[in-house]
Amino acid sequence: MRHTPADDRPFDHVGQNRPAVVVLCHPDPGNRHCVREINAGMEEEGVPCRTENAADGSARELALAAAQASNLDVGVGVDSVGNICVHHAKLPPDAPAVAGPATSARTMGHNAARLVAGLPFKQQEGVRRA
Amino acid sequence: MSLVVGVDIGNSTTEACAAHIGQDGKITYLSGALGRTSGVKGTTENVPGVVEVVRLALARAGCDPAEVQAVLVNEATPVVSGLAMETISETIITESTMIGHNPGTPGGVGLGVGVTVAFPNLPRCAAGSAVICVVGAGVDFEDAAAGINAAIARGVRVTGVVVHADDANLIANRLGEPVPVVDEVTLVDKVPLGMPAAVEVAEQGRTIRTLSNAYGIATVFELDSEQTRMIAPVARALVGNRSAVVVRTPAGDITDRRIPAGTLILIGEKTKREVEMDAGAEEIMSTLRRVRPLVDAVGDPGTHVGGMLARVRDTMSELTAMPVDTVRVQDVLAVDTFVPQRITGGLAGEFALENAVALAAMVRTSKGPMELLAARLREALGTEVLIAGVEADMALLGALTTPGAGRPVAILDLGGGSTDAAVTTDGAEVHSVHLAGAGDLVTSLINSELGLENLELAEEIKKFPLAKAESFFHIRMEDGTVRFFDKPLPADAFSRVVVLTDSGIHPIPTRHGVEKIRQVRRSAKHRVFVVNALRALEQVAPDGNIRHIIGFVVVLGGSALDFEIPDMIAEAVAEFGIVSGTGNVRGSEGPRNAVATGLVAGYALARANGTAVRG
Repeated sequence: MRHTPADDRPFDHVGQNRPAVVVLCHPDPGNRHCVREINAGMEEEGVPCRTENAADGSARELALAAAQASNLDVGVGVDSVGNICVHHAKLPPDAPAVAGPATSARTMGHNAARLVAGLPFKQQEGVRRA
Repeated sequence: MSLVVGVDIGNSTTEACAAHIGQDGKITYLSGALGRTSGVKGTTENVPGVVEVVRLALARAGCDPAEVQAVLVNEATPVVSGLAMETISETIITESTMIGHNPGTPGGVGLGVGVTVAFPNLPRCAAGSAVICVVGAGVDFEDAAAGINAAIARGVRVTGVVVHADDANLIANRLGEPVPVVDEVTLVDKVPLGMPAAVEVAEQGRTIRTLSNAYGIATVFELDSEQTRMIAPVARALVGNRSAVVVRTPAGDITDRRIPAGTLILIGEKTKREVEMDAGAEEIMSTLRRVRPLVDAVGDPGTHVGGMLARVRDTMSELTAMPVDTVRVQDVLAVDTFVPQRITGGLAGEFALENAVALAAMVRTSKGPMELLAARLREALGTEVLIAGVEADMALLGALTTPGAGRPVAILDLGGGSTDAAVTTDGAEVHSVHLAGAGDLVTSLINSELGLENLELAEEIKKFPLAKAESFFHIRMEDGTVRFFDKPLPADAFSRVVVLTDSGIHPIPTRHGVEKIRQVRRSAKHRVFVVNALRALEQVAPDGNIRHIIGFVVVLGGSALDFEIPDMIAEAVAEFGIVSGTGNVRGSEGPRNAVATGLVAGYALARANGTAVRG
């Protein structure tokens, strides 16, 4: 097989090819704070992310779609009422990594990042195991 | 031909062995069984446990309980053991001199020096002054960054930031000029304000270099030699951290104090000696060697050790209805250990490894209520029950059924509460010894040294190998091999060290790596079992010299089933030219069932010799 030098590969620093955790979020204005906190959690851990608006769907469905769109294999879904789910593309669709309510947004951001980095998850009161 | 059942009542398990004995004394072993001992060994509470294993052994052998000619029980003497730990050092930070807690993600890189200022007071700082900004709880990271940027724009030199929340990178990323940021300081409100301070954050993968060096701190705060001597413990306490804060307060200090832990009085047959607990395990054990044989041991009331020794005595007195002042402690084992403890005066929940001494003690009576127990068993089983021999003798007889073992033989019985040894030379004489400290002490050391506060988990770490969950679908075992799973592992095991128990994979909720946990586990086993094995063999050996005795050492007991203890012992005694290994009683039972088998063998021997067994 021929090896392609890294320089020849088209690498878009802002677009789809950038390595990032994808956040798919229902465009409800109430979700703005939630998304900010998720992004803050990932930024604190030093893991890049990008946020996209999504059509209707449950947090788990959005998270799975996000994980499949992410080249880090990790996605976060936020539904219309702010429920959050963190998923990994290689996990069974009905068994996401972690999930929680809007109040756990920062922790969910941390945990999405830690899923990429291979670090134990951060605990928060009220987080249920998915 | 007659059917007999040998029953060994041990500290934690009761074992049975059913056999047919021919007229010529020839034994045909039929089955073995194992159950939990009900109540304390050697008391009438044992009856239900014994009845259960006898029934089980007979069922396995396919024999009718009515055919049983005799049930043979060993002379079980109650053993009570106790454990205590005495912390003998303590680290105290006064006036909140330092913060050294190693947060997961500090922000920025470098060293900042300035006067501590609370975030709300930042706008009042004069231009040109060097400040360390202290951001309290509830301040949003964007507001904090904006406030600091505004101050810098006015000419205030903000050289470092200390934050309550897990926000270090969020703030550092938003600052115009990058400065070191230390976060997750839970008691940030207690950071002294208006004091000179230094904040240091090392690059990823490195540790701090200035604040962990006494002369570095001296340079930063312009200290003279006397002041540098005072600050040296702070530097030492910060070694190995990725981030740190040092605040220079008038009387601030960090002290490493020895806690007076009281005295242990060891009373021997000829002499009596006192030893300070804080002298450490080595000193305590060498004092014990000088007073041996030990007649009793007492500790200062009010200390953990004194309390434990009194508790052990009380328990035994209750069990045997002996007056408390006649119960004697027969052996103690002291082990040096360390305990992670929250530093007094720490602002971010810092831990320090404090020195401690763990002490195991044991009390044994010469006579339990055996006759009464035998009578109760007779009622419950409806058969003849014979007290057929001393435990150590029977264990030796049982051990000799191990293929390849021969006389002279010594046994090491590694239990939960005590380590026992017995030796028989070519003559019939048997020397035996019972030592404090065994599996329970190992569990307790693992629990405290890893700061688990969970004895069940510590027990699992002792018994089962470790692994690291590297993804949702695979783990890397402690030996480096990889195991895959069809179903994803639970989220709380993700990326954690786990212990592979027979009831599933259990995560260990600490920051320790596999290597560290493994090292603690092996070292605990070494400090208890290898030390006790050598101590026990030394005491049963003629002239106290292990080389003189024994050709064969057979390791028995529940802890002999451990996956590494028998190897450790074999390695330790190899230099004495001894064959040591885990027993395989009757070639089939492993290190179990030795006493029960020995009872049957002893009975057959006695019958063949025509001597009566006392009943």
